[in-house]
Amino acid sequence: MSATDIGLDLQHVSKDLGGRTIVDDLQLDVRTGELTCLLGPSGCGKTTTLRMIGGFLVPDRGRVLISGQDVTTLSPDKRPTAMVFQNYALWPHMTVFKNVAFGLRLRKLPKAEVKERVEGVLDLVGLTHHVHSYPARISGGEQQRVALARALVLEPKVLLLDEPLSNLDAKLRVRVREDIREIQQRIGITTVFVTHDQDEALSISDRIAVMSGGKVEQYADARSLYREPATTFVAGFVGTMNTYEATVVPGGVALAGDLVVPCGDLSATGDGVWEVGVRPEDVRVSLDDAGAAADVLREVPRGHYKELVLRAGPHELRAFVGSDLPPADRVSISFARALLYRDGVLHRSATPVPAHS
Amino acid sequence: MVLPPVAVIAVFIGFPVVAAIAYTLGRAGGPNSVVASLGQRQFIVQKGVTFDAYRDILSNPTIHRDLWATVWVTIVVTLVVVAVSWAIALYLRLTDSWLARTISALSVVPLFIPVVIASYAILVFYASDGFIKTVAYHLGFHGFPTLGYTLTCVTLGEIWVNIPFGVLMMSSGLNGVPNNLIEAARDSGATMPRVVRSILLPMNVIPTVIVATFTAIYVLGSFTVPYLTGPTAPNLLGPSMANFFNSFNQPQQAEVLAIVVFVLALGIGAVYVWANVRTGRRSGLQS
Repeated sequence: MSATDIGLDLQHVSKDLGGRTIVDDLQLDVRTGELTCLLGPSGCGKTTTLRMIGGFLVPDRGRVLISGQDVTTLSPDKRPTAMVFQNYALWPHMTVFKNVAFGLRLRKLPKAEVKERVEGVLDLVGLTHHVHSYPARISGGEQQRVALARALVLEPKVLLLDEPLSNLDAKLRVRVREDIREIQQRIGITTVFVTHDQDEALSISDRIAVMSGGKVEQYADARSLYREPATTFVAGFVGTMNTYEATVVPGGVALAGDLVVPCGDLSATGDGVWEVGVRPEDVRVSLDDAGAAADVLREVPRGHYKELVLRAGPHELRAFVGSDLPPADRVSISFARALLYRDGVLHRSATPVPAHS
Repeated sequence: MVLPPVAVIAVFIGFPVVAAIAYTLGRAGGPNSVVASLGQRQFIVQKGVTFDAYRDILSNPTIHRDLWATVWVTIVVTLVVVAVSWAIALYLRLTDSWLARTISALSVVPLFIPVVIASYAILVFYASDGFIKTVAYHLGFHGFPTLGYTLTCVTLGEIWVNIPFGVLMMSSGLNGVPNNLIEAARDSGATMPRVVRSILLPMNVIPTVIVATFTAIYVLGSFTVPYLTGPTAPNLLGPSMANFFNSFNQPQQAEVLAIVVFVLALGIGAVYVWANVRTGRRSGLQS
């Protein structure tokens, strides 16, 4: 990848606030036109990172580069970035048109050009019918799109979105996030999207940086992140994961209580105790005696599939199975695939998988 | 539920107001009979109404000067209080330093000092043998003017009394503007002066109007500060009213002056209502 392909580059960025290190030696590069999500629990440093990219905070250490240009110490008004805030931050005394036109007027563009660009971007987000409305008179979803239009109209090199969907109801959130992705892809803008919602991150991102304790735990595309979480934190945060301490035995893994579960694919082999992670869809359930015996504690219908809560020896585990599996009190289980972790890090073929892929 | 308070207002405020208006129009019967039996230079009619009391007051050259003094002091005090309160509140909103916190604490101190005490303190400060004059004398300004018992002293006193309310209101308004609205403007390319002009100023219109209207109404009807620190004449209408009522024993003229002040305050109140309705429409609270 050449330097010009990188739209945003965070180099060893750190930030201390209130005597605590919020962002710790963070490294992240976002390719031009790529949508990257910063995903993590509250307090992991994702919004602080976004605010450093936007210029609202200055890093204590490290550099922020946009298209190769060092912008570390530039104030927000001098950066080629535009932010969509969590609460939209629309100015209530201005109409939709004036909100969107504000940045263009500051740049002293001719009136005709301002009008043309504002109408163009409002058309892009489907809000031409609300040009003269005040923010208080339009819905939350529409306010969100005005905020997006206000950011896009400036034609920034990097678009920053700070949990922009958190105030919307579940249905609207799905629709608006698809709209955002569609618009982002259409204009090909480099985008950083902060969220704590893994569904949101998995569904719209090119790549996802999972953050914890101010560091990036793993930076990968959605499929890799789900299939091969590099750390136990990522494994637990993204999706559901059954985790146990176990040893590797011929043909499977031995869990505590001398429970041997057959396993088709182990990420690594080796002596000693491992942390074993198994996705619910990788738990094979059958009514024969081919695997380890397990009792069915609960059956939760999930539409086209069902979730079984099972007890095998002293262990409880979850399995996703087809709706056609007949109800039973006792079943046999095996693992189609298991990930082996040691010291919280995924091992594949006896080598740890790097966090940055 | 609302009947008791409405009844109390009607009996203790509404009825006296109506009786006073009737008295200024020459009706001296009923509740006005006692005051009319004692007052001097009254204009009374048995039937209909007369505006003679108004003509008497409004043709009085002393009242003209008092009226203009009141209007000018009110305008100057209102402008200065709004400007100073804005400046202090803006500094407090945008700065978090020990100086800002000190100013914030000091700016509300006058609120806790009784106006009578403050008026005497102001008078002593600006008097011919006061602090300012003494300092000026020692600095070689022997002809430095004495501000005590002048309208300037009244103006300074009214500003001193009204600043805390102004700062509290403005600070409350500015603190109500979320940080992300300021950050969004900065993100769009606005400098801080532009943020103040385009975001903070328009979003703080209601507190500004409240400070301006309430200060103006307070000064229009004020008595203690102009009475204690002001000149004999011309002075504000508050002391004039007291003079007509107490010294000249002309209660009808005093009430006419009260009506004049009320009409002026009504005009200022209309501005306040207009600003509220306008902002309410924009925020979607009213249609």
